[in-house]
Amino acid sequence: MKSVALLLLAAVGGVFNGGVDGQETDLAASLKSFSDIQQVDLNRLLGGEIISERGSLMKFPSGMSTQLCFAVPMAAEETAKRLQEWNPSPHKELKIYAFRPLCTPCEIADFKDLKITSSPRSVGWLLDKTLTTTADKSELNLSRNEAQQIASSLKKNSTPAEVSSCWARLLWARASAFQTKGFDGMAPYEVSGETVSSVAQLRAMVLEESPVARECEPILRKSGLLGGGVPTLTPVYYWQLFSADGYGTLSLGARYLLPVGDHYQLLDVDCYVNGNYYTSVTLYEVWPIRSAGKTGSLVWQGDFYAAPTLAYTRGVDRVAYGAIMLLEIKKSVRAFQSDIRTAH
Amino acid sequence: MKKTLGVALLSVVCVALPVARGAESPLEPKVANSSSTATNASMELDVDYGFAAGSKAHTGGHDLGYVSEQNAGLKYVVSPELSKDLLLRAGFEWERFSFGLPGNAPLPNTLQQISAVLGLDYQIDEHWLMRAELTPGLYSDFQDLSWCDVDAPLILGGSYLVDADLQWFLGLRVDLRSRYWIAPAAGVRWKFADEWTLNLLFPNPRLEYELNKRVQLYLGGRVLAGTYRLADNFGTSHGIDPRTNQAMLDFLELRAGPGVSWKVLPNLTVEAEVGCMLYREFEFSDPHMFVRSNNPAPYAQISCHAAF
Repeated sequence: MKSVALLLLAAVGGVFNGGVDGQETDLAASLKSFSDIQQVDLNRLLGGEIISERGSLMKFPSGMSTQLCFAVPMAAEETAKRLQEWNPSPHKELKIYAFRPLCTPCEIADFKDLKITSSPRSVGWLLDKTLTTTADKSELNLSRNEAQQIASSLKKNSTPAEVSSCWARLLWARASAFQTKGFDGMAPYEVSGETVSSVAQLRAMVLEESPVARECEPILRKSGLLGGGVPTLTPVYYWQLFSADGYGTLSLGARYLLPVGDHYQLLDVDCYVNGNYYTSVTLYEVWPIRSAGKTGSLVWQGDFYAAPTLAYTRGVDRVAYGAIMLLEIKKSVRAFQSDIRTAH
Repeated sequence: MKKTLGVALLSVVCVALPVARGAESPLEPKVANSSSTATNASMELDVDYGFAAGSKAHTGGHDLGYVSEQNAGLKYVVSPELSKDLLLRAGFEWERFSFGLPGNAPLPNTLQQISAVLGLDYQIDEHWLMRAELTPGLYSDFQDLSWCDVDAPLILGGSYLVDADLQWFLGLRVDLRSRYWIAPAAGVRWKFADEWTLNLLFPNPRLEYELNKRVQLYLGGRVLAGTYRLADNFGTSHGIDPRTNQAMLDFLELRAGPGVSWKVLPNLTVEAEVGCMLYREFEFSDPHMFVRSNNPAPYAQISCHAAF
């Protein structure tokens, strides 16, 4: 009797493991086909482990990429929806001072919570750099027209309240242009040297990783990031104020979601960043998984980041920069996983 | 800064911009695949010069008078990327100490290193980076060079990255010709506030205050050290124990003072500091004897670091 039970256990175990292994093999093959992630262990991923790979040094001189893979105990559709709507600001370790979704079409009232003050120091830096902006020169990412507007407004009134108001108007105008024209509505940065087109940078970075670009072609095309047509997806828009490497930074973002067969693709892109770095984009693929009788989602995440500093960060410094960037991204992933566990 | 970036971007963007649907696929790589890393090489150049005013030196209870010092250094390293996680380091290093000596001082006028730099940087995992660096070359007073002056100290270092604000360091220097042939060190870089960073990293530990993106003030220490072979007739010519002919000499100097670091260009940093030379020691291997200076003396140092 005992031996029969053991045999049964072995058989059941074999079937169960075979199921998981089969799914793992399929997912590993899928991931291997386009990403740097070569192996997945669903049980360990569902236990909270995050697999990560720093990208190789890019030919794009100011770009850097990383990839990672994690799991959450939630159905893929719900996970994708939560990724699209996630508010990271409650997690103090991420140093995000404000995060607000935007209406479509957005209104100036969407930016009423935007406060640029002298404290904390990182935001104080943004206040200082705004006040020293002239019509044709700034350390911030501005078009010539925006620089003129800021300089003109602050000439009459240079209080923090007016600085906040200037940024609210600027972000509103940028967000409105993006909502109506998509990526073609992203004005270049013109007042800190040569003209810099952040949309061209986004395209260059994504296209350099051609297997990823091919895998994510559906969402890249339907969002309009690759150009060549009218965007057919409506994203969730947001603005945020956060500390980027110790410097206060305002950004506008858009998160797109697209079901593709049995899984989901997401694109989280900076429509505008006002300083410290130029732009960033995060691509996600979310697959349904099943392990130990539980449903969950496997998430692949690819981050692409363009910053002026990177063009001058070489050798081991750049390796360290990439490793630290990955550790910081993992902080965000852990925060997201923690929110999912709390909600579950 | 952004001007250069803009030019670089134009060249990349021109070949990478997508074309309309139906034409050639925009998803085919127009930029070389990132896995091709043959051309990824960086270069570092470090140049420094310092002067320390005279400090009273003594040995065995006898005053030797005031010893001043000039130090200069040049280090050039090329670092090609062999794989995503492995970088080679190859280059050369020159370091020279010139001492202003009283007539009777049993000390060399010059201590000098001319060496190759051969090493590797490797990312072991997501938290650990390591460096192994061998600097084979001549370490001598350059009076009568021979194979006896050849040495090859090895430096092994490891960095444990916790996050953007905290990193730990472990290091080991192995020099078989030194009396202290193995020297361990540990350090930490901790950005404990937006503007403050504690950078306790050997040989230049510092407390740093970031004035703005380009200028940093610091209060720091500086350790200068090396092991050198003396001339065949060093003892004889200086009128001291002839056993010091061809002796090994360990040199150590400790400095402390405030400084300023200025990022002149994104890839060029200039540093200037002034302060006190607190302690200097010449330690002869055989016979085992010391010449020490522990009277503080002012010093000034200027350094330049460029990365290409």
